[in-house]
Amino acid sequence: MPGEVHAIVGENGAGKSTLIKILGGVYQPDGGQLVVDGEARRFRSPREALAAGVVVIHQELSLAPSLSAEENIFLGRFPRNAFGVVDRGLMRARTRQVFEQLGVTVAPQDTVGTLSIAQQQMVEIAKAISVDARILVLDEPTAVLDENRVEILFMTIDRLRANGLGLLFISHHLEEIFRIADKVTVLRDGRVAGSANVAEIDQDWLVARMIGRNFAHHEPHARKVRQPALSIRNLSVPGEISDITLTVSEGEIVGLAGLVGAGRTELARAVLGLSRHVSGAIEVFGRPARIRNPNAAARLGIAYVTEDRKAQGLLPNRSVRENATIANLRRFARAGVLRLAMEACYVRDMVRRLDVRLASPSAEIRTLSGGNQQKVLIGRALAIEPRVLLLDEPTRGVDIGAKQEIYSLIESLVAEGMAVMLISSDMEEILRLSDRIVVLRGGRIAATLSRAEASETAIMRAAALAA
Amino acid sequence: MQPKPDTALGGSGRGTALVARTWQRLGVLAALVLLVIAASFLSHRFLTVPNLLNVLRQVSIVGILAIGMTFVILARGIDLSVGSILGIAVVLFAGSMDSRGMIVSIPLGMAAAALAGLVNGVGVAYGGLPPFIMTLGMLSFARGLAFIYTGGTPIPINNENFYALGNGYLAGIPIPALILIAALIVSAFVLQLTPFGRSVYAIGSNEEAARLSGVPVKVYTTAVYVISGFLSGLAGLVYASQLSIGTPIAGQGYELDAIAAVVVGGTSLFGGKGSVAGTFLGTLIIGVLANILNLTGVDPFVQQLFKGALIVVAVFIMSRSKGS
Repeated sequence: MPGEVHAIVGENGAGKSTLIKILGGVYQPDGGQLVVDGEARRFRSPREALAAGVVVIHQELSLAPSLSAEENIFLGRFPRNAFGVVDRGLMRARTRQVFEQLGVTVAPQDTVGTLSIAQQQMVEIAKAISVDARILVLDEPTAVLDENRVEILFMTIDRLRANGLGLLFISHHLEEIFRIADKVTVLRDGRVAGSANVAEIDQDWLVARMIGRNFAHHEPHARKVRQPALSIRNLSVPGEISDITLTVSEGEIVGLAGLVGAGRTELARAVLGLSRHVSGAIEVFGRPARIRNPNAAARLGIAYVTEDRKAQGLLPNRSVRENATIANLRRFARAGVLRLAMEACYVRDMVRRLDVRLASPSAEIRTLSGGNQQKVLIGRALAIEPRVLLLDEPTRGVDIGAKQEIYSLIESLVAEGMAVMLISSDMEEILRLSDRIVVLRGGRIAATLSRAEASETAIMRAAALAA
Repeated sequence: MQPKPDTALGGSGRGTALVARTWQRLGVLAALVLLVIAASFLSHRFLTVPNLLNVLRQVSIVGILAIGMTFVILARGIDLSVGSILGIAVVLFAGSMDSRGMIVSIPLGMAAAALAGLVNGVGVAYGGLPPFIMTLGMLSFARGLAFIYTGGTPIPINNENFYALGNGYLAGIPIPALILIAALIVSAFVLQLTPFGRSVYAIGSNEEAARLSGVPVKVYTTAVYVISGFLSGLAGLVYASQLSIGTPIAGQGYELDAIAAVVVGGTSLFGGKGSVAGTFLGTLIIGVLANILNLTGVDPFVQQLFKGALIVVAVFIMSRSKGS
């Protein structure tokens, strides 16, 4: 409906992407009707969808990074002057106008590649507005944003709604639904599992319909903390982190909270030997360690699961099996020759233990859903038999069912004595799992909160406010 | 366009990946079989043992180059210098064969070829140069060295044992074909069954992910170019012994034939996907096509058209078949 935000939620594989692709004209429906402005339509191509005013903004943005914001907005339909040359003045004026309408602070001539993800998203929304979109489909727009940016995005959405645009909003985050949506539809297994006005429902209603079963909120057991596993002393990387001292012991989870850019991933990268000019000391099980690369870290029993599955995690066109074992091939080799049976056996066990749902271990990993991909990457880290696990946003882009499973997995690893450093922007997650929470701000430790002290407010206060 | 099912879930997906993979391999094989059937109808001389062995001998040089090229392309690189490295090996074999004999000459030429590959590898892996540029530089540089070494005139080789290497038979099979097959078997083994081979695929699929997984990306990337250089030297060995002459223009333009064989064989230029078995089939497809065009007396100028069309059509079909 015009002037309405309709949220679509559902686990990965529930049919959200397929729905979006039908709306965008990428796939053709087998049956059923699509009604736009009271008229039944059938989009045979993305171009037809666009012509009808339906614009889809995908999670992976489709901007040309080397062009400016205004060029991106007018790509393929540059305004021309009397000489048939691109009318830059007009282009800039129109871009300014749209940016103003959206409250975007980007300069029209800025190169898109130099903008932050959040700004790029805004440019894409501006592009949609400038083609007179009537219906805007946002596919998990908040997945790549930190909390401040999410709020800015929501303010933009509020404006668009006020201007009479119809918005479809896809998200994993239930709080967001309540913040921004008027109506919500839950998909499960490709069907509508429920639809309601947001004002009339609560989170439990949503969760029950998403997973079709009840899951127990359970408190973690008291953990037995043993000897220090990873001790970091006065670790600094110029321009990234400074003077960070913290210890993660066997059998505990230390949460690393903070805004995007606070230096959390940078800390992990410094520990893994991926940064230059690292100063300070690292001790692993009481022994001083000089870690030059991830391989050296692995030998010391430190494994890392990246926050950026696509860019740094997946070997997209290789099989699940190869993805699972790449970090420790030596384990499956005898006299330099891989023993495929041994490898297959490990992968079978891993698939069972982590409950990865797949057609076959020889399937390409990119055919799996986000949650299952993530489980395989955790399996990859576990293949080195680590004693310290650095998890960076382990449930980003993962559906709610898989999320719970990943939590149980982490908890059972910790119960067996694993030392875990958990980097997360998901408040609920970090509060639920961590024994202690270290909050970073501007590359420094802003606060260390015990389980008793930790709360969403305490974390946000430390992360976002000057002391 | 048909509606596509979501492949991310659902029981129907069992084994589809396997089917897709075997199609990629069988598709190339099927193309070769079709070509052989067509060829045997077009010329009664085609399907005879001497002719087929001749095809094998003819493709051996490009076939060996293409195997090295497969390593490089799997790691998402490219090696434009294989023809020139072959050239430098050839003139070194020729220049030292008569004075020092095979025992010294062969290792010398092979080592020079591997060294050129090492320079490529270091430039790409440690210098951060784009493979296209680094190996383009080597293409020119190595060719220049070959000309300087010979002063521009071919060096004859008078060594019967060496001549036999390129023209003789072992158990009825041309020795160059045996060398090709040996290189093929060793390479397939390395790629499929060693941690190094696996890592080459991983680097080509996602270099950053490979690095974070502890794969020694720089060392292995360098190794891939050394392998390509070494195999270029091996191809040079076959070349020099077949002709018994060391000409500085040996192997000019062969890099494109090698890339063509790799691509027709189903290896992705974007890395991480493909096999040396595919490359071997690709080499045979191009070789059989050339052979049948020769047998039926097609103008050599027109043959070029066929080869060009084959490359484009083969890749077009492949890009279609792996869409799902």
